[in-house]
Amino acid sequence: MKNYTEILLNKIDEKNPGHAKKLRDNTADLDADYAITGNLFFEKYENYLLSESLTLDFGIDCYLKMLEDMQELRIKFIQSGSYINTSFEEVEKSVYANPEVMTYHMHGLVLAQFLWFDQYERIKFFRENLIRHFNHGRNYLEIGGGHGLYINEAMKLLPAQTQFDLVDISESSLLLAKGIINTANINYYLKNIFDFTNEDQYDFVTIGEVLEHIENPLALLKKISNHLTEDGVCYITTPVNAPMIDHIYLFNNEEEIRALFREAGFDIVEEKVVISEKITDAKARKAKVPVMYAAFIKKVK
Amino acid sequence: MNIEEIITGMNEVFKDVLEIDDLSINADTTANDVEDWDSINHIIIVVGIEKRFNVKFNSDEIHAFKNVGEMADTIKLKMTA
Repeated sequence: MKNYTEILLNKIDEKNPGHAKKLRDNTADLDADYAITGNLFFEKYENYLLSESLTLDFGIDCYLKMLEDMQELRIKFIQSGSYINTSFEEVEKSVYANPEVMTYHMHGLVLAQFLWFDQYERIKFFRENLIRHFNHGRNYLEIGGGHGLYINEAMKLLPAQTQFDLVDISESSLLLAKGIINTANINYYLKNIFDFTNEDQYDFVTIGEVLEHIENPLALLKKISNHLTEDGVCYITTPVNAPMIDHIYLFNNEEEIRALFREAGFDIVEEKVVISEKITDAKARKAKVPVMYAAFIKKVK
Repeated sequence: MNIEEIITGMNEVFKDVLEIDDLSINADTTANDVEDWDSINHIIIVVGIEKRFNVKFNSDEIHAFKNVGEMADTIKLKMTA
């Protein structure tokens, strides 16, 4: 297998050597699984790109464009203390209804999943604890699957007879996930989760990086609760202080996320907090550096 | 306000952001000379300077400054514009 991570870092190095060095430094001490898991996923990604007559260079250009956006947005975030968009209507206009922006942003995020050490730490947390929390369940639902990474990992780990469903409100997101994962064993739904009926009950729900994209995350959490079986577990991720072009709901710290879970009637079973830079917690809080949060949560009985 | 006064004001921002009470920057000071003046704190410092001097930098300017003196010159220009 090709060493995709190295190939991608070399390509980034040609265009942005400072950033490539930072990525290398940050991933230098990750475990052996990092390279294996990353390369397997990037191989799927390259196969998808080739099927679309594209190459990894396309992905790299998208990633670097996304990085430019993030640097501009961080400046605005530090200046104002808030995300530039706070309504779905605003991001619908500037992002979701703009195919060029959607394309580079989505492809940029695909590469970020393994080029950014904080993203890998969350994937690792998911992989290491999924089987225990799935606990002989029958079915798995992923809400807002994005690039399909989590459901891809779940399919490797969970029993073959598990029912895998993926729902996304975005057709382009769904197509990207479908294209990368490339399996017939997932039921894809182009749908709003709020249109699911109460009969749709799941033993496990994954919802990665969705809360920060909506105006009312509490309502979404309560809806998820309706679709979890009594002992069902939800794996959920969302970031703190992470300005992106389509982030509208700002969590200022992890305590706000935990409070929202409690308000929605969830207990946190296990959580993982990863600062996106190799700095102390105190510095991250003072400089409002993005922090990645992940948790397995269950309904309070 | 002359350049020396601007640099004195900038020094207060640097001290506050970096929490270095005895810091003393001059026109030739670069990020290599100051502990913790990294890319993360650079944005915080620049925004602090914007608020102190009531100026605004664009992102090209923010990433282009080579030393304190260049920042001070730009601040003076913006203050008199």
